[in-house]
Order: sequence, then structure tokens, then C-alpha cells
Amino acid sequence: MYCAKSLIVRLLFLARISEFSHQRSGLEKVILATMKMADGSTILRRNRPGTKAKDFSRWPDEPFEEMDSTLAVQQYIQQQIRREPANIDVILTPPDAQDEGVWKYEHLRQFCMELNGLAVRLQSECHPETCTQMTATEQWIFLCAAHKTPKECPAIDYTRHTLDGAACLLNSNKYFPSRVSIKESSVAKLGSVCRRVYRIFSHAYFHHRTIFDEFENETYLCRRFTAFVTKYNLMSKDNLIVPIMEEEGSGETDA
Amino acid sequence: MKIPSQCGGPTMEDSSPSQNHNGQLGPSSGGINVGNKQSDEGNQKTQYSIPGILHFIQHEWARFEMERSQWEVDRAELQARIAFLQGERKGQENLKNDLVRRIKMLEYALKQERAKYHKLKYGTELQQGDMKPPIFDEPGGPEAPVDGEAPFTSVSNVSWRQGRQLLRQYLQEIGYTDTIIDVRSNRVRSLLGLNNNAESEENLNNAPVVTALNGNESSNKRASENQGRRTPAKKAQPSSLAEAMILDTEAAVIANFEFLSQTDVDMDDDDDMSDDLEPPDDDDQDDVKTTKRKGKSLMLNEGLADDVDAEAEEVLNELNLLTETEDSGSDIHTQGDPTDWGGAGMGFQPGAGHRRQMGAGGLGDEDVPNLGLGELAQLTVNNEAEAAYDIATTKESYRKTWNAKYTLRSHFDGVRALAFHPVEPVLITASEDHTLKLWNLQKTVPAKKSASLDVEPLYTFRCHTGPVLCLAMSATGEQCYSGGLDGAIHCWNLPCANIDPYDSFDPGVLTGNMEGHTDAVWGLSIHSQRLQLLSCSADGTVKLWSPTSKVPLLSTYISDQDGAPTSVDFIRDEPNRMVAAYNSAHCIVYDLESGKPVVRLETTQEVDNNVIGRQINCVVAHPTLPLTITAHEDRHIRFFDNTTGKLVHSMVAHLDSVTSLAVDPNGLYLLSGSHDCSIRLWNLDNKTCVQEITAHRKKFDESIFDVAFHPSRPYIASAGADALAKVFV
Repeated sequence: MYCAKSLIVRLLFLARISEFSHQRSGLEKVILATMKMADGSTILRRNRPGTKAKDFSRWPDEPFEEMDSTLAVQQYIQQQIRREPANIDVILTPPDAQDEGVWKYEHLRQFCMELNGLAVRLQSECHPETCTQMTATEQWIFLCAAHKTPKECPAIDYTRHTLDGAACLLNSNKYFPSRVSIKESSVAKLGSVCRRVYRIFSHAYFHHRTIFDEFENETYLCRRFTAFVTKYNLMSKDNLIVPIMEEEGSGETDA
Repeated sequence: MKIPSQCGGPTMEDSSPSQNHNGQLGPSSGGINVGNKQSDEGNQKTQYSIPGILHFIQHEWARFEMERSQWEVDRAELQARIAFLQGERKGQENLKNDLVRRIKMLEYALKQERAKYHKLKYGTELQQGDMKPPIFDEPGGPEAPVDGEAPFTSVSNVSWRQGRQLLRQYLQEIGYTDTIIDVRSNRVRSLLGLNNNAESEENLNNAPVVTALNGNESSNKRASENQGRRTPAKKAQPSSLAEAMILDTEAAVIANFEFLSQTDVDMDDDDDMSDDLEPPDDDDQDDVKTTKRKGKSLMLNEGLADDVDAEAEEVLNELNLLTETEDSGSDIHTQGDPTDWGGAGMGFQPGAGHRRQMGAGGLGDEDVPNLGLGELAQLTVNNEAEAAYDIATTKESYRKTWNAKYTLRSHFDGVRALAFHPVEPVLITASEDHTLKLWNLQKTVPAKKSASLDVEPLYTFRCHTGPVLCLAMSATGEQCYSGGLDGAIHCWNLPCANIDPYDSFDPGVLTGNMEGHTDAVWGLSIHSQRLQLLSCSADGTVKLWSPTSKVPLLSTYISDQDGAPTSVDFIRDEPNRMVAAYNSAHCIVYDLESGKPVVRLETTQEVDNNVIGRQINCVVAHPTLPLTITAHEDRHIRFFDNTTGKLVHSMVAHLDSVTSLAVDPNGLYLLSGSHDCSIRLWNLDNKTCVQEITAHRKKFDESIFDVAFHPSRPYIASAGADALAKVFV
């Protein structure tokens, strides 16, 4: 039964490989129907309206092999994070035979999404009057690259623009047209996005420490991010200035 | 009656002894009788005495006299009333005659003007038959309307066909070949779904001829189109279409007929079109009059100008068919028409009616039909015309297939809700990545390869700390409200649609939040007129808010037995009601003021242990009918009547659960989105699927979360779990 089901799943996945075919073929429909029939109680991983907040996305995990969607990688990452946010190793370990470019891309998307939480908290405290420039330590002032000519935006603007810019870039059809394969030329973009996004962490750490700590304790995001960029060499170590109290942390190095 | 009481009472009246009174003083005679009687009272009890008898007789007589006087009074009253009514009637007739006289005068003036114009324009005399000043019949004329028509039918059936032939011939002279005529007629037929009203095609086909001439004629054509479409379609559709459609549809039709050179007169037509609705007349009468008109058209002399007249005649015939002649007079108002024909147009419809009534000799009546009908055709086309017209073109604009035009990529996680701006091509999306984004569809990114354009967001709204689940846009488009998993409802002031995406942070965008829910807010709905917001939450409550007041929370509605509410909507055709749908598949209509359930919408009796399997995912109230539509997890869409609560219709709509519904602003179409990756457009009249669009990919088992119509533009949008929102045109 399991073999048949996985076979069916793989068939489906193959059938759906071509992303631009919007027609669901008759074959797919038949396969789906049989799948439903074979498996008496299919688990529907859905958040229906009326679901309580604590029950949101609370469904049994799905093994990666059985995920037949084009968004399988994102699903998998989110699932791992939900299960245990602090277990960075597990989260960052790609499944077998997973394309590394796609893996990095999807993780970066997830980071940008979760950073939104930090931005929301910063909005309350980080005002243009108090943080007129985007700085972390005293040495560097970061210019916002979202404008035609780099501009010295206040910190909150920098944060917003960077996140918005990252969203545009990561979603742009030009650089990342597909979610199951990444062009080689676009992989370099990931690095620059990482660099800019990291500055948000560093500003928060040095200037809004309480917010940073609160956020970090909940999400472990900075640690995960640091581990991520280190593992895939997306940023130079010199730039990683936020001290991570962990054995694999990069330590405090002044940029 | 005084007499009996006086008989009983011992009033002694000294009165004149004469017992020969003559009825005018009944009571006093009664008194006299009493006085006389008293003396005889002793005798009366035991025997009939002469005085007693006399008394009795007098008594009766007095009574009769009283009654008679009563009747005399009544009669006088009634006669007075009769006189009054007669006077009124005379007054009305005079009024009518005056109006008719005026009409004739105006018609005559119109003809004069037309001749002048024609002379100026073409340098020739307008041949339009005798232009004698109208003769004013005395009131005998108008009084046989029905009789006057009967002979028309018999005579003009033949001439009607001849008229058509003539027109066809004219068209061919111009170069408008038969094939084009046929094509157009077929097209119109298919648009209207008709097979049998040949007249309308003729009108439509003949109409383009007009445009070659001058601007007035072009408007004539438009009106005649309206006429053509109106007659058949008016039966099909109730005359309750929004007039906002009118301009859109007119634009569409203008686009269709490119050879329209003059658009200024078209604009006049636009003004024209916004009239009161008139109920349709008898159809029999319609045909009669139409045929009569066609007969009249024969009488026109040759020349293209007369062609115009003929068509305009037909147009106007149609016009008259559907309006009461008297009533229409009030509807006509002058538009901003530079020519003075507008004034002439004013009198037209009653005039046409008058013509009809003018006598059986109408066929031979040269002067009257040969009015300058081109410009008259622009006059107030009643809404029957535009109703059908709108229907036809709306059908056209919706009947074409919807194609993906814009893809909105910027969210990182599934887009849970979206809402269009009421006016501008702007929409807002709410996503599970905790943000909302504002998009302007006119700011597209230059696309490289695909047909669909990419749009980038203008603004990102950050405040929620959990996935944003629902969204509502205020009727003015200045504020929007969002509800999320964190239980907060935030109110945002929308930034202008032309801002720079990378502007500085404006803390004024977030204007407030409404606290009250303790769990995820899954549904929001905003009232179209009042600024009131309904929200439903997984904590089991539905709350009503007035966001601008000091204490925003107005009331809370809880239903203990139904589980958690999943979706709410205001009932649009009644002022104080709302409908709430629950995940136990029940749906309840509440009265907002009292908070009590008013109607429980009948849910299906399917024996399905899995209640979740029947849960209602979305409920929408129809904008004009008392209808509620629900989308169910069991793939059905169900329609309920609001007043009785009965299930009106149920249909399997998709291959997987139906997640969202949207009704178009005119109430004709329904859009449904489902987790089977497709959105379907349904015609609400016959509940058939007009189009299916496959869009979005699945994430886990979810695919499409929300669909929406633009309130005023031809856009529909869908929000998917793949973090995309797509807009179709």
C-alpha cells in the first residue's frame, strides 16, 4: 500500500513537474481519485476558517518524499521550524538529493518572512528621530540600496526598504522565475540579500537590545541565520558582528 | 329622531293648530301631534281613535318628509361633485390639447430647422414632403386611440417588408454589404440570445449607416441599437441594473463600432441614458406600432437624409412602444445639446403618440413622420433601452473569457485575503507572512516573456504578529481593516496609489486596532453605507464594530450550539441584518439591533458524520436579492432564501472544497475559488459555470484562499497559497 501510494505520489509529482502547464491532466485527476480512495482517511493539511490560533497548522508532519507540491521545500522547512524552532541543525539540513540553490533560496525566503516579526517590534521603538541612520557599531553607516542612488535612510526606513526590496528580488520573475530550480546567475543575489538583511539584526542587537533578545528567545532567528550564512558561505565572516552565544558562533569580530 | 322621543315625553307645545303642514317642519308637526295626542292619550291605549290614526299618519308622513329632505341634500352633494369632476376633466383635456398643440408647433419648428440645416449642409433642399404648419384638430381627434391603430396593422404589414427591402437597398448603395449585415445580425442575435426579432437586427444593421452622416445620426444609431436590443431583452431582464454599468457598456459599444467618428454626440447620449425606468408596454401594441412605423417609413422620399429619418423613425417607434406617451413627456429633459433640436426632442414622444392617435389616415400623413428624427433619437431613451443595451454589452463584456493579466508576486507565504479598491485599479492582499501589501495595477514591471504582467507592491503594512487572515476595504477606499491569527483587527489608512515604494515610514498609516477578540479573526465584512465592521473569530463570537467611534465595539453575537463562526457578511438588501456561517455547517441570519437570530438557514440533511466535512468556508449575501450563498467544504455551493431560510439551490461546484465566493457588483455572476486550484465563474440566473480558470499551485492541501471582483472595473482576482495573487481581465 505504501509503495503504491508513494508511486502514485511520484507519478503525480512528475506529472506536475512542468510548472507552466496549467491544465490538470485527466491522468492526474484519475490518480488523485485513486489516491483518495485507497487511503480512506486522507489527512487534509488545511487551516480552515474557524481554526483556533493554537491549532493553526497543527497537523501531522509529512515526510518530504511524499510532498508533491512545487512548494515542497518551503513546506518542509516550515514544518521543521514549527516542530522545533531551536533545533537549527535539523532545520538547516536539506533532505537527500535536494538542489542546494533551491534550498538556500527557500531558506532565505523564510528568513525574510520571519524577520518581519522583528520589524514589527522595532516599529514601536525605532523612530526616525532616535535612529536617524542605519548603524550597528560606530564604524559603519549603511546606505539603503533600495533607491536609485544609495540613500542614508533612518533605521526604520532601512529595515522596511530592505525587507521590501528583498521581497521584490526574491519574488521577481527575472531572477527567480521558478521555485524548483535556481539560475546560476541568480545565486549571487542571495549573498547580497543576506548581507543587507543581516544589518537589521545588527542594528537591533546594538540599539534595541531588549527587543532583540525577546525576539531571539522566541524564534532563534539570528542564530539560525548566522548558521545558515556560515554553512553556505553567503557572507564573509567579518560581517557577522552579532555575538552568538553558541559553540559554532562566529564570535565577536569587529567589522 | 325627535318624534318618537317627543311621543314619549310629555312636552306640550303650543303650536299652530294647523295639521295641514307640508312636511318641511316634520319635528314641529310631530310636536303638534304630540300636543294633540296628549289629550287623546287616554283613549289611545284601548282603541283606535280617529285622532290617533290621524296622528300616526301624520307621524309617518313627517318621517318620510325628513328622509326626502335627506335625499335631496345627498343628491345636491353628488351633483356638486359631478360638476366638479366634470370641470376637472375639462381642465385636463384642455391641458392635453394645449400640450398637443405645443407639440405640433415644435415639430413644425423642428422640420423647419432641419430643412435649414440640410440646406446649409448639402446646399440642396431637403425633400421632406409638405411642411405645412400643423392644423389643430379640435378635441374630437385624439379620442379614438385604439381604433386608430387597428387599420394600421393590416395595411402596413406588407409595406413593412417593402420598407425593409428599401432599407437594405439603401445600405447596399452605401456599400454595406449583405454579408456584413448578416454577420452583425448574427452577432447581435447571439449576444441577445434571440432568434426571432428580426426588427432589432434591422435596426442594428441599419444603424451603422447613420454614422456616415453626422454626429447626430451617430447618436441615432446608438439609440437604435438600444432600441433593437431593448425590445427583446426587456422581457428577459428586470429593469434593475445599476446605472454605473451604463458608461462602461457604452464605452464598450463605442469601441466596437470604430467608425463612429463623432464622440461628442455620444456623450450626449450618455446623459440621455440616465433616465427613469419605464415599465414595458404591451408587446402587442409594440408590434403594431412598429409595423405602422415601418409603413410610414415608406412614405419618405428618397435620399440618404430620409434614410436617416426612416431609421430614426424606427428608433422612435421603438421608443414609443415601451413608454406611455403621456408619461414619457415628463421623462424627457433637454440635455446639453448645442442644437435647438433638443427642445424639439422634448416634445417628441408625446408627439409620436399623438401621431398615432391622429387618425387612421396616419399612413398618408406626410408632415408628421418626417421630423428630424436624427437628433430626436438622442433624446431620452428610456431605461428599457439601456437596460437591454447594458445587458447585451455586459453579457458581452463578461461573456468573453477572463484571462490572467497581472501576477502579484511579493508575499512569502500564502495570500489569505484580498480586496479591491472601490474605484481605482488598486488592491490589497493579506498574507500568512504577517503583512499586507498594497498594489497598483498600473505600475507594472516590464515583463520579459510571459503574457501576464508582474506588479510590484507599493506599500507593505506591518503590524500583525501572526498570519493575516482576512481583509475588508471601506466603501470609500480610504481605510482598510485586517484581522489576523493574533486576534487583532487593525485599521489602516491607505496611502495614495502613487507613492514611491521606498518612501519613509509613515506611522500614520496604522490608525488603530480594535481589540476584543481573543482568538484568530477569520472573517471581516464591512457595511457598504455605514461605517460598520463585522468580524468573526475562532473564539466563537461575532462582533460588530464602529471603528470611528470612541468605543468601537458595538455588540457581540454568540451562538452556543453552532461552533465557531467562519465567515460573516452584512445582508445587503435589508438594512439591519447580517448572516454568519459556522463550522458546524449552520448559517444564521441575525438582526443587528436585537442580536437575535432571525432566520436559520436550512442546512442540508446529508448524513455525514464528518461535520468538518460540511463546514461553511465562506458566506456572501447577494447585493440586491434576498439570497445568501455559502461555500462548503463538501464541494458544494448552496443558495438560501433570506426570508424563508429555505435552500433554494445546491450544486457541486468544484473537485475539492470551495473556499471563497464573490458576487459581482451587479449581482449577475458568482466567482468561486477552491482548493482544487481552480476558480469558476457562474451565471447566477441559471447557475451554470461560465468559465473555469486554473490558477495557483498547492501548498500542503490548500490552493486558493480568496477571490474578488472589482466593484467598478472589469477585474477579478484570486489569492493563492503559493504566495501569488492573480488578476484577470
